[in-house]
Amino acid sequence: MAPSKRKAVKLEEAESDEAFQDLFQHEYRGKKLTDEINTVEDKWNLLPAFLKVKGLVKQHLDSFNYFVDVDLKKIIRANELVLSDVDPEFYLKYLDIRVGHKSSSAPGTKEVILPPHECRLRDLTYSAPIYVDVEYTRGRKIIMHKDLEIGRMPVMLRSNKCILDGINEKQMARFDECPLDPGGYFVVNGTEKVILVQEQLSKNRIIVEADEKKNIVQASVTSSTHERKSKTYVITKNDKIYLKHNSISEDIPIVIVLKAAGITSDLEILQLVCGSDPQYQDLFVVNFEEAAKLEVFTQQQALNYVGKRVKTIRRAGAPKLSILQEGIEAIATTIIAHLTVADLQFREKALYIATMARRVVMTMHNPKMVDDRDYVGNKRLELAGQLMSLLFEDLFKKFNSDFKANIDKILKKPSRTSEFDALLSINIHSNNITMGLNRAISTGNWSLKRFKMERAGVTHVLSRLSYISALGMMTRISSQFEKSRKVSGPRALQPSQFGMLCTSDTPEGEACGLVKNLALMTHITTDDEEAPIRNLCFVLGCENILGIDSATLHSRGNYGIYLNGTLIGTSRFPSKFVTEFRRLRRSGKLSEFVSIYTNTHQQAVHIATDGGRICRPLIIVKNNEPMVKAEHLLRLRNGEWAFDDFLTHGLVEYLDVNEENDSLIALYEKDLDPNQAITHLEIEPFTVLGAVAGLIPYPHHNQSPRNTYQCAMGKQAIGAIAYNQFRRIDTLLYFMVYPQQPMVKTKTIELIDYDKLPAGQNATVAVMSYSGYDIEDALVLNKASIDRGFGRCQVVRKNTIQLKRYPNHTKDIVSGMRVDEDGQPIFPHQALGPDGLGEIGARVENGQVYVNKCVPTNAGESVLGHNEQTPGAESHRETPAYYKGPEPSYVDQVMMSVSDNDQALIKVLLRQTRRPELGDKFSSRHGQKGVCGIIVQQEDLPFNDDGISPDIIMNPHGFPSRMTVGKMIELISGKAGVLNGTLEYGTCFGGSKLEDMSKILVEKGFSYSGKDMLYSGITGECLQAYIFFGPIYYQKLKHMVLDKMHARARGPRAVLTRQPTEGRSRDGGLRLGEMERDCVIAYGASQLLLERLMISSDAFEVDVCNKCGLMGYNSWCTTCKSFENVIKMTIPYAAKLLFQELLSMNIAPRLKLGDVF
Amino acid sequence: MEIDKSDGPSVTIRESERDHVNFILRDVDLSTANSIRRTMLAEVPTLAIDLVEIDVNTSVLADEFLSHRLGLIPLVSEGIENLTYSRDCTCDNYCPKCSVRLELTAKCDTDSTMNVYATDLAKFHNGSRLGDPVIRDANRRGPLICKLRKHQELRLTCIAKKGIAKEHAKWSPCAAVGFEYDPWNKLNHTSYWYENDAAEEWPRSENCEWEEVPDPYAPFDYKAKPSNYYIDVETVGNLPPNEVVLRAVETLQRKLADIAIELNKETVEASNANAGGLTTYGRNQFDDGGDSPGMGRTPYGGDGGFGGNSSWN
Repeated sequence: MAPSKRKAVKLEEAESDEAFQDLFQHEYRGKKLTDEINTVEDKWNLLPAFLKVKGLVKQHLDSFNYFVDVDLKKIIRANELVLSDVDPEFYLKYLDIRVGHKSSSAPGTKEVILPPHECRLRDLTYSAPIYVDVEYTRGRKIIMHKDLEIGRMPVMLRSNKCILDGINEKQMARFDECPLDPGGYFVVNGTEKVILVQEQLSKNRIIVEADEKKNIVQASVTSSTHERKSKTYVITKNDKIYLKHNSISEDIPIVIVLKAAGITSDLEILQLVCGSDPQYQDLFVVNFEEAAKLEVFTQQQALNYVGKRVKTIRRAGAPKLSILQEGIEAIATTIIAHLTVADLQFREKALYIATMARRVVMTMHNPKMVDDRDYVGNKRLELAGQLMSLLFEDLFKKFNSDFKANIDKILKKPSRTSEFDALLSINIHSNNITMGLNRAISTGNWSLKRFKMERAGVTHVLSRLSYISALGMMTRISSQFEKSRKVSGPRALQPSQFGMLCTSDTPEGEACGLVKNLALMTHITTDDEEAPIRNLCFVLGCENILGIDSATLHSRGNYGIYLNGTLIGTSRFPSKFVTEFRRLRRSGKLSEFVSIYTNTHQQAVHIATDGGRICRPLIIVKNNEPMVKAEHLLRLRNGEWAFDDFLTHGLVEYLDVNEENDSLIALYEKDLDPNQAITHLEIEPFTVLGAVAGLIPYPHHNQSPRNTYQCAMGKQAIGAIAYNQFRRIDTLLYFMVYPQQPMVKTKTIELIDYDKLPAGQNATVAVMSYSGYDIEDALVLNKASIDRGFGRCQVVRKNTIQLKRYPNHTKDIVSGMRVDEDGQPIFPHQALGPDGLGEIGARVENGQVYVNKCVPTNAGESVLGHNEQTPGAESHRETPAYYKGPEPSYVDQVMMSVSDNDQALIKVLLRQTRRPELGDKFSSRHGQKGVCGIIVQQEDLPFNDDGISPDIIMNPHGFPSRMTVGKMIELISGKAGVLNGTLEYGTCFGGSKLEDMSKILVEKGFSYSGKDMLYSGITGECLQAYIFFGPIYYQKLKHMVLDKMHARARGPRAVLTRQPTEGRSRDGGLRLGEMERDCVIAYGASQLLLERLMISSDAFEVDVCNKCGLMGYNSWCTTCKSFENVIKMTIPYAAKLLFQELLSMNIAPRLKLGDVF
Repeated sequence: MEIDKSDGPSVTIRESERDHVNFILRDVDLSTANSIRRTMLAEVPTLAIDLVEIDVNTSVLADEFLSHRLGLIPLVSEGIENLTYSRDCTCDNYCPKCSVRLELTAKCDTDSTMNVYATDLAKFHNGSRLGDPVIRDANRRGPLICKLRKHQELRLTCIAKKGIAKEHAKWSPCAAVGFEYDPWNKLNHTSYWYENDAAEEWPRSENCEWEEVPDPYAPFDYKAKPSNYYIDVETVGNLPPNEVVLRAVETLQRKLADIAIELNKETVEASNANAGGLTTYGRNQFDDGGDSPGMGRTPYGGDGGFGGNSSWN
């Protein structure tokens, strides 16, 4: 074909391709543009709209954005001044901080930083510079300096500091990035690191717990400020109430604390704690007695009492305080530290303590008033941004103190030649922040000096096994709870998790229930400003707490209004207050993530603005009508509206767990019951599941543990990883050669783009027994299917070689291949090119070299030493990288680059293509895994009258005990889809109806049951039974025989014990263990025992002196100094070693030899 | 056996197209019919790319990936009998007697994506259609092999060899072989699964029309044997369906002939010894295809017709 002609043809082809794409687009999401809108059916369209704005990893991005844009500035403001102890004139003040752009550049522009993919390949950190503006004194002058770089901040991918933010697919491709990659992780030293979401008990909130056995009630609050973290308890002891704090040596009676906080009148204390309730009063009175006994009546006495018991940790240089001052200090700053006290106005804090005491009294009266620690509303999720902020503040403080120490040292010198410029010494430490951030993220060790916090395992390497495993990792939540403890409470599924956390996706085993996953439609809040909300409350008719008479505080019908756990006022019309507040929120006057709810038991209205609450959007119902109407959905579909428009128009709102608990939410529109005051309508019920559980078709028909198993297995499935998968050089990557999107999809699959990056194939499955090689879940595979590409996958492995430079100016080199006499490369060098690197596409066999690296022979010598080469001696010694493996690989890519420290970096990617073999693991999407038990020729397999033979035969015994009905329905829907030419849906709580599917089957001339009459491939006779036959989506899991097979006859031994090594990687032996030994003993095969345990292992001949019982050598006993009585015998080397080790500890094991017969 | 009530097996062709034939095989034993089915699926020799020598591959697909795709492209295998199996050939590696060479060179110079199709495979001229890729699509381009972006290039040589599907499915001439007998289940070989009424719940086979409706009150004939087989052969295009059937039969015969020869070995050996001491019994005697001694004895005739009932087109 002439080239020009071909070109024209190709162009035409490309156009038709795009046209096809468009056609596909219109029908996408299941509806055509012209289709009628039905609110009941189409309200789920809000979900893709939500994911478009929020995305699956939006919580990470939001949190990071908040950190770099808002939190950094707060940190700077909190630590803005650096002063000198030496020179009182000197100061340095931080004015502003920015990440990624200079002050001169327009806001929103980003400095060009290395693209993330280059960082991945070159083992660099994807980071942006941190600039500060400072003002400082130089001599007498005040100098402003802008854009001072104090370090580099690792940038979260897809955050607003990332170059990938807001760019289109084409630009993304130019950066070698996958447009479907969720982002939300960091690239540190070339590895992708995720900071997992951490689950914690909420901060600055009162939690009441009771131990009914010990008759203890305690209210505790963890105060967390920028400066410190501390915990304050109000507990009962012998029915008396005390306040407990770590820095106070003994528990202080509550009345004394309240008196110290300025409430000296016993009556007022009683009013604040118990109100007018006589039952509460009766419970509380004893406490007055105690205070009276201790003769504490006035505030001064109380403060002295407290001051005496404060554990003082004096910092060097701080002035010593009197006892009274200590007391004041304790009340003002130590106890309930998150409440700041200005001008010794303790009333707010006193009220807080009184509230705690009141909660305790209430719980003493009615033990049901306790809080549930496991309730999701009492949990806060800590995200990357918060953790980074903690770390940054610590590093920044360290940076400032180092800087201060440095300038003090210089300023101390009496005379200086030039005027001191502080800027010169600030740059010295700039590496500390960069390194500190990098180290923390790459090791996962978060050590914060100011909180004395040491947390390990905060970050994890992003798993790139498949697209879904990476995605699953981004939604994972890890709990602070210890894994080893055997408690069921925190592991159990909480009803309040509904819609917030996935009900299925949790690992099995020790982390079960502690590691959770976010549901599909959730959002995690970031901190919102408190002050405007406080003002708003007062505007809405809340009476300020400071102006309220103590007697009316707890009067009936008077509700306390709590802002982030702190009592700020009261209202006598709480429902009106709450309604008004919500109205303002729905109209967009305040942040949509501020939550408000009423707690009638505590007579309280709680408002929360803090970060880390999980919330989700719901449709508002007014007068029993959902606010979202067809017209709105039409606007959404036409692209006029985005999800945020629904929020601003007050049609949809976010509810957090606490507010959700105060609402009545209808699941379906049909549940809108006029007799109930329904407040909200669920957008889509399948959003109770997360992204990973969303892959399962018909999960609502499965036994629940099966869905959980699938969630674990879906992450191990081999498939497509990303659009840039062939550009990636990861340690280990698996690709499926022909991945298919599932015949039975779910809406979640479309939403998370699993259909674009699938991990599995639609296999035709016959549920029957065949050949006996299918017991214990083993599968029978069709050889012809495997020949045609079923389950075929590629495995690529990275091998990194660094060419080092040595201090004596020598360096590693790569030398070329060596040839034999005929000019052919020698066997180990067959895969090499003339440059000494593996040739692309070359086959590398076991023992062959893929990089012929050479090390200088004199690397250890100094430059000045033996400079003259010994003539004839080689200057370099070959230390090649050998390939090791049972099967040959092919060189896929070779990358040469320069890493951070100017050393040459070579990455060689070796590829294997594997077809399924005996023992490879497969799984359907219903937690039903199995290994391939036999591979059968196509002609031997059963077939139906159309000549269709199965790809997989699955044993029917897999069904009864597993109860995976969803799998059966998947088969029927899939079969109907195949016959009909459609993709069917198996969405949770919805999907294609079984009845419709059966109808299609009947129309196409099949049995409605999904069963077919099959013929035996061997005899041609038809099978007696009817066979359940149709397509099921099967995943190939990463566990393959080739990576695990191992056998050894002779081989390496450990140096110390001379016993065979352990493990496949070291070509180790197979252990005849303790229990096997028991068997051999019981059987009486002692010679076998001797052979296995000594002769074939570590037999060693020793010279034993029969006189002293110690070991000698060369027939000479060193102890007895004689050749006499020395006998040769064979013992295990490990035994000899033990004797010698004992000798070294001054224990003499003596061998006594005697005749056997 | 009591099959021989009629004058031997017969074939009725119901439908016949370029890649597909549907016929009824009558009055043969089930095992015979199934043997033909199995042989058609697995043992009819065809041509497929078996060896790929890659000079340049800068496409996104890995070499093995590409080779696998190339292997699965159906190649015209009419005249395959003129080719020997590569393992039986006298040559070192491969030669025109045992292989067909195809070459593929493609380079994308335009900004748009270039598609490489099976038609882009250039065959070394061998004077016949043997080894041409099978083209069945409307655009006459054949299967898509690979897509190339600007500056990506493919340059490779493919060696197509003779083989059978037992070794690899790429040598299979059949996409599927439909097979049915006894659509009324008169023989009770299967028991219908049903909830209420089997007759209502089970869709009736189209082949029911070709057989008498069974008398529900007739006593069960436990001696009855299946005799009518409704076979539907669909090929992948490398061989016409009649050839597939014929060659399957032929292969089957040859296998039986091998057994017969093995059994007669002593006589043969004796006679060969008389002739000059050289024994050439066994497989390679027949490997030169069409004029093998087996052909003459086919009961169906070697001239491409099935008992003269119809002709193929």
